[in-house]
Amino acid sequence: MKLKTILKKGISVLAAGSMIFALTACGGGSSSDETSDESTGTDSADTESTSTDDSGGSGEGVTLEFQQWWGVELPEGFLDEICQDFTDETGINIELLSNPYADTKTQIAAGAASGTMADVVGLDGSWVYDFAKQGSIANLTELMETSGYDDSQLSDQVQFEGNTYMIPVVNFAYPMYVNMDILNEAGVTEVPKTRSEFLEVAKKVTNPDENVSAFAIPLSTESPSGIQNNFMSWLWASGGSMLKDGQPNLTDNEDMTATVDFIKQLYDENLMIAGTYAMEEADMVEEFTNGRVAFMIDSLAHLLTIQEGAPDMNIAFMKVPVQDGYTGESGMDVANWGIGIAENCEYKEEAIQFVEYLMSPEVNAKLAVAANAFPGNVNAEPDYADADQLFMDAYELFQESYAINEFTGLPTSEELMRSFDEQLQLYLDGDTASAEDMLSETQTIWEEAFQ
Amino acid sequence: MAGKKKWYIKLFIIVALVMGALFAAFPVLWMLLSSFKPNAEIFAWPPTWISENFSFDAYAAIFTNPEQVRFFLNSYFVAMVVVVLSLVVGILASYSFSRFNFPGKSLINTLIVSVQAVPPITLLIPYLSLIVTLKLYNTYWALILTYLLFTLPYAILMITGYLNTLPKDLDEAVMIDGGSRWQALWRVLVPTAVPGLVSVGMYTFMQAWNEYLFALALTKTNDMRTVPVGINLLMGQHAYEWNQMMAMSVLGSLPVLLLFLFFQRYFIAGMTAGAVKN
Amino acid sequence: MRAKKVSNFKKKSTPYLYLLPTIILMFLLLIIPIGMVVGYSFFDNVIINDNPKFVGLQNYIEILQDKTFLIAVKNTLYFVGVSVAAHLLLGVAFAMLLNTRYLGTKTKALFRVLYVLPWMFTASVIAILWKMMLNPSGIVNYLLEVLRLSGNQIEWLGSRQFALLSVTFINIWSGYPFYMISILAGLQGISTDLYEASSLDGANSIQQFFRITIPQLKPILISLIMLDFVWTIQQFALIWMTTGGGPINATEMLSTYIYKQGFSKYQYSMASASACIVLVVCTIIAVFYVRHQKARD
Repeated sequence: MKLKTILKKGISVLAAGSMIFALTACGGGSSSDETSDESTGTDSADTESTSTDDSGGSGEGVTLEFQQWWGVELPEGFLDEICQDFTDETGINIELLSNPYADTKTQIAAGAASGTMADVVGLDGSWVYDFAKQGSIANLTELMETSGYDDSQLSDQVQFEGNTYMIPVVNFAYPMYVNMDILNEAGVTEVPKTRSEFLEVAKKVTNPDENVSAFAIPLSTESPSGIQNNFMSWLWASGGSMLKDGQPNLTDNEDMTATVDFIKQLYDENLMIAGTYAMEEADMVEEFTNGRVAFMIDSLAHLLTIQEGAPDMNIAFMKVPVQDGYTGESGMDVANWGIGIAENCEYKEEAIQFVEYLMSPEVNAKLAVAANAFPGNVNAEPDYADADQLFMDAYELFQESYAINEFTGLPTSEELMRSFDEQLQLYLDGDTASAEDMLSETQTIWEEAFQ
Repeated sequence: MAGKKKWYIKLFIIVALVMGALFAAFPVLWMLLSSFKPNAEIFAWPPTWISENFSFDAYAAIFTNPEQVRFFLNSYFVAMVVVVLSLVVGILASYSFSRFNFPGKSLINTLIVSVQAVPPITLLIPYLSLIVTLKLYNTYWALILTYLLFTLPYAILMITGYLNTLPKDLDEAVMIDGGSRWQALWRVLVPTAVPGLVSVGMYTFMQAWNEYLFALALTKTNDMRTVPVGINLLMGQHAYEWNQMMAMSVLGSLPVLLLFLFFQRYFIAGMTAGAVKN
Repeated sequence: MRAKKVSNFKKKSTPYLYLLPTIILMFLLLIIPIGMVVGYSFFDNVIINDNPKFVGLQNYIEILQDKTFLIAVKNTLYFVGVSVAAHLLLGVAFAMLLNTRYLGTKTKALFRVLYVLPWMFTASVIAILWKMMLNPSGIVNYLLEVLRLSGNQIEWLGSRQFALLSVTFINIWSGYPFYMISILAGLQGISTDLYEASSLDGANSIQQFFRITIPQLKPILISLIMLDFVWTIQQFALIWMTTGGGPINATEMLSTYIYKQGFSKYQYSMASASACIVLVVCTIIAVFYVRHQKARD
């Protein structure tokens, strides 16, 4: 009896399975438009190309694949709209592909090797050197020349051996967030301007019983961007640099040594929140949102999320405190959404058209506003009218500083950050005797990567 | 005297069971509770149990998103096909290992086991290139075949083990009556090995359902992607949708749970009818 | 005469025929990529460069001398050893509990479902969930404080003391259901006659457990141990997403080491070489297992 039922069930499962399978067998890989059609009133009749390039190809009927992680962080349907507008203007179709941010690098590497890389790809500054060296991404300088694009309007271009391989589309500044509620409770009314003032305030606001700390720094080695965004920010804010003529300059660098010791002091005096070595940027944001951290250096893009999570928090922005006695301009760390073109893309002319479209002043401005970021085109005039006053405060701070991120365009940037991270952890834990030792050890490791 | 002893044992068993259940289920309970909280509250201190802002928002977001629903359908479909194929191919191979001795048996056996030993991440690029060459990229077949490769060694090993516990007398009984080996296999051995087959099937389903790396690498468009990829897509560069991730995981585990509930009666004692008395 | 030869051939080829689908599938789709990986390990500049250079065993020598690699080996041994042992103990214990005759079917069914829960989730979810729970401000520390078992906020995943232990614990939690279910299935196959007969001979439960249950389960247990060993060495997502191999190599495993070589340093040849070392170790284990199986037959 049981055998019969088993057989019956087995056969029905098989039958159902093969039916579904037959139905969908031809459906594998079909690009679905069902979910992305949110275009508002397409002017389908108007196929007049408004781009200023001289490329002869009409571009009609060509489909470009655009792989990015941005869609998740923009308002629903926004990216689809932008791409649809482009299609209306030029007749070139854009297929939006999305990947989880954390795995995008692996995907691009695998895609480049197996020839499945998308035509246009979102890139992070720290990947450019390696992908350019491997020949996975295309030389944009040449493409821009051929299409007659005026690249002076680009605020930045990330280069490798003299040629551009990635263009930052929008920039995310990393100012310092302050939880004014914590400060006020501790009787502090003014934000610190120098490092020693910061230390004083930090001691006042840190309260282990209430589980409140002054600062947080994410030092997880899985994604060591904490070194770039939360550590080096201190260095750059005081006009320091970790490179000299493009080579590592960690030793004999007073600013660097001072910064390392400053962080060590914060750590030793328990002014930083626990869990540093396993903390990622997202974790740090959660700690801040829950009122456990007074100061944090973080991407401006988080402002909305934090406000949603903590609507009653009194947030303010401030410049990263400088070294005592420093009076020069401060550097502000920026991360960005960069864009590049695959080397094995068959429609490079159309691809550069799309890139130029995203970089055009109007579109770029719209993107910047939607992403809570700053535009990559110097002529773009984003309409931040609806934006928070806080956002404008940060924008002001940004304009008073110079944008800097020395990790962009370095060889194996992520690995550099990781080794610095590990050495820093050893020093913080007391394994390494002094900052100089830690830095010279890191210098050795870095120099190897630069060969 | 015997009654008293039984009382002790029963209590011990119950206590052990409850402690074990806490160990097993508490994290899952936490996951469930978190899926009903707004994002920021998930990290509140002191932690809250049932949120004041209890809401089904996370679930609503998933159900109203056709892309996410598609992830579930894809996962379910791929996993089912993989289970069926794994069992069928696995049974055939196990029969060979269990009932025959032939030259090359040890070699093939060793190979089957050891191919699992290659770290998937190193296999990723060459394997991807192979799939692309075979024109299977971004299709259901790519996932199905890949998961088959992952689960076959386990299936073969375990089914061989289960078949080995069934005496050869059973086969012989059928063949003496004029039946073929094929009939012996499918009419007698397989039904008797059902508990083992069910556990292998469960494992296979789980493997296919939960796999992430190759699901991501072998697919390009969201209409081909599976639940684990869907969950990871909720981790943006700047913000994680924690409650949605928890909700999606809860939803993702339901089909597997249902399958388990459905098939678990095959674990119950009573299938010992297969053991031939000596 | 000819008929006999044909039927002889048929007889000899039967086992191979049954194996055919497996052979075609596995060897076609796996041998080629694996071959490529082995090949890469002997070159330099693979994949990313069009001019790979043959360097023989140099990659292997470099790896075996790498401090980090040796640390990864040590951690992996700990991780795998403890995980497999714990999986085995928990699997047997829970399976026995769920098979007991002292409780009703409904109760057992309920607990069966509860016990199998950790298995239902994908690695990234488990990693994130536990990361949340083991956060210094997370629920685990909270409960420890409330139960007065600890005064401080313990950094489970963030300190060198506890990271490896925590990661191993998470792996144990997520992996024991596999053993439990397989053993439960195996328990069903043990004839109750054996127990009855031994009861009549005056054996108590403990003796029965060690003299009947374990020996009967032995073939399954050995398969489970071996498979788990191979799989646990591969465990990547769990470790990567909780600690990334840190803090400072405290949880660096062979799998994370290989990943970093391949996708952070872009040294695919080194990654391939490391992978081959893992492959060789597991093949040796597999050989022992197969020999053991053969001896049993």
